[in-house]
Parts: sequence; C-alpha cells; structure tokens
Amino acid sequence: MWLPLIGLIVGLVVGFLLDWRVPQEYSSYLSIALLAGLDTIFGGIRSFLERTFNVRIFLSGFFFNTLFAAGLAFIGGFLGIDLYLAAIVAFGVRLFNNLAVIRRIVLSRWINQEE
Amino acid sequence: MLQKSRKITFILAIISAIIGVMLTVQLRSSLDPVHKESRSIAELRASLQKELEKHKNLLADISKYNQLYYQYETALSEDESLSVMKEELARNRKMGGMVAVEGPGIILNIVDQVYDEHVMDEHVPVPVIGGYTIDDEDLRWLVNILFANGAQAVSINGHRLIATTAIRNVGDVIQIDTRTVQPPYELKALGEPEVLLSALKLEGVEEYFQLSNKHVIAEKQDNLMIPANTEERRIRFMKTVKEKGDS
Repeated sequence: MWLPLIGLIVGLVVGFLLDWRVPQEYSSYLSIALLAGLDTIFGGIRSFLERTFNVRIFLSGFFFNTLFAAGLAFIGGFLGIDLYLAAIVAFGVRLFNNLAVIRRIVLSRWINQEE
Repeated sequence: MLQKSRKITFILAIISAIIGVMLTVQLRSSLDPVHKESRSIAELRASLQKELEKHKNLLADISKYNQLYYQYETALSEDESLSVMKEELARNRKMGGMVAVEGPGIILNIVDQVYDEHVMDEHVPVPVIGGYTIDDEDLRWLVNILFANGAQAVSINGHRLIATTAIRNVGDVIQIDTRTVQPPYELKALGEPEVLLSALKLEGVEEYFQLSNKHVIAEKQDNLMIPANTEERRIRFMKTVKEKGDS
C-alpha cells in the first residue's frame, strides 16, 4: 500500500533532478494535464473505497484525461476559445466531488467502527 | 488475488511518479519562468538609452578621477610638475586631435549601390547611379551618431574631426573645414566596434543611405590609425585675463 507514496516521492525527486522548465506559454497546458491527473487519482481512490476499482478504467482515464485536457486547451488556443477554462471548471468540480465522497466514506467507516 | 493487487499498486506507483514529475515541473516553471527575448525595438532602444546614459556617467566619473589623480600628482611632486604638465599637454593634444591615435574601431565606406545587370528586366526603371548625392547634413548626422555612441576620434577621407570642425556644402562639394572631400567617403571611427555598429543599425543608417542609392559598408578593425588634424589653428580673438595681485 505504501508503494504509490514511494512512487510519488520518487517522481518528485526525479522532477527536481531533471530540472525541466516549461516555457510560460505552455505552462497552462501542463497545469491542465496535472489537474486531470489529480482528478483521475482521486477518482481512483474513490472507486477503490467503493470497491468498484478497475485498473483498466483507471489507467485509460489517467492517460486519456490528461492528454485530452491538454489537447483541447491547445486547440482552444488556436480557435480563440478559452477551452482550458472549461477543463479547469469540469475537473475542479469533479475533484471536489470525489474528495467529498472520499471524506464521507471514510467518516462513515470510522463511525461504524466506533459503534 | 494477491498478485493482482500487487500489480495494481505497482501501476499506482508509476502513475503517482508521473504525477510527481508533472508537479515539480509545474512548480519549477511557475516559480521561475523561462525568460524569452520578446522585447520590442522600442523597449530595446529605451534600455540601450539607459545603458548609454550609465556609460556616459561612468566616463564622466573616470575623467573626474583622472583629474583628481593629476591634481594629487602635481601636489605630491612639485619638482616633477614640469613632467606632469607635459603629460597633461600630451593628453590634451590627443583629445584635441593634434596627434595621430590608434586603437580598435570601425571603417565605414559609403559607395555607390552596385546593381546586377542580369537581375534587371526592362519593367524596372534603371536607377540613376550617382544621380543622388550625399549632403553635408547626411555626413554630420552620421558623425553625430558615431560621437554620441562613444567614438573617441573620427576622420572623413583622412581628415580628422576636432571640436571646431565644420562640415558644409560649398557649391556641389562638401568641405570639411577648408578642404573639399570627394566621394567615395571613408569614415574612420575609434571606439567600441560592437557599440558603434549596433548604434548605426539602430539608427537605420543603412536604409537611409539606400534612399540615395548609396551603400554603407561597415568594417570592424582591431587596430585603426586616425591621423592628426593638420588644419592650422590660430588663437585670434581670445586672450587670457590677467588677474592683478594673484601669482
């Protein structure tokens, strides 16, 4: 169970060591991809707690969401439509929904345990 | 079942590693963004102006401290005052253009635009080569650009310019002081070659002379010799004021 955490730390360290820097005009795409990734992670945790976790859905969700979010934002930039705002709102709402569900599940389990 | 859950945690670890890399990259680039050269020519001009001002101030400082240094020198060695005065005289002669100087600089050649005969077709009117001439004004403008950007000494066709030099049209020819100069003009300027060249580019000298069918060839020189001003100068209208009692 600790492996994902170790993976996160390894990723952070690798990121620091690589010293990549994204030019400012592309940083919004990366931030959207990051938001989509975080959303998928929390969705995964939620489905894990609900015991409906499926690796394939999780994996495909992660890659497709990040790529599509960044790609849509990119296309929106070309068309002059701020599609990245839509992506931010959509993923933000979903992120908070997932967080709320996770919190409720954890809380109800804790209460059940106490009783 | 156990193997499957281990596989899942492994995949989760990889995903979180990717997330971690993305996080740090995002953090890095939002904390100190990559600076790209996207300043307009106006901004560049403004910053160049600022730097030139700084440069001028520093030069003024240098000359001030040089003066102080000379004062101390004279104060320290009264017996050596003659040599100090001689040194000062030599320095002034150099600044005044009475001796030849050498150093890094640029050579500007203003020549007629050469047109390639083969490129021409009959629809394009053949420009009259030599039909337009360069005025005294153009030369003065060019010389002013050079001096404004730190040129220490400038000569036109071998005539060294000094503080009182006049460049003016007399009839069809340009006179520098009392001598006529004929095209092609060759300007030599002592100074930081890079600064002078970029100043010329910034002021649009090339385009300006192209309007009168002239081509400006600029050339960097590591060791440029500029001759002394040979004009005879006499002091006619000024006398030193004799103060009574003093000295």
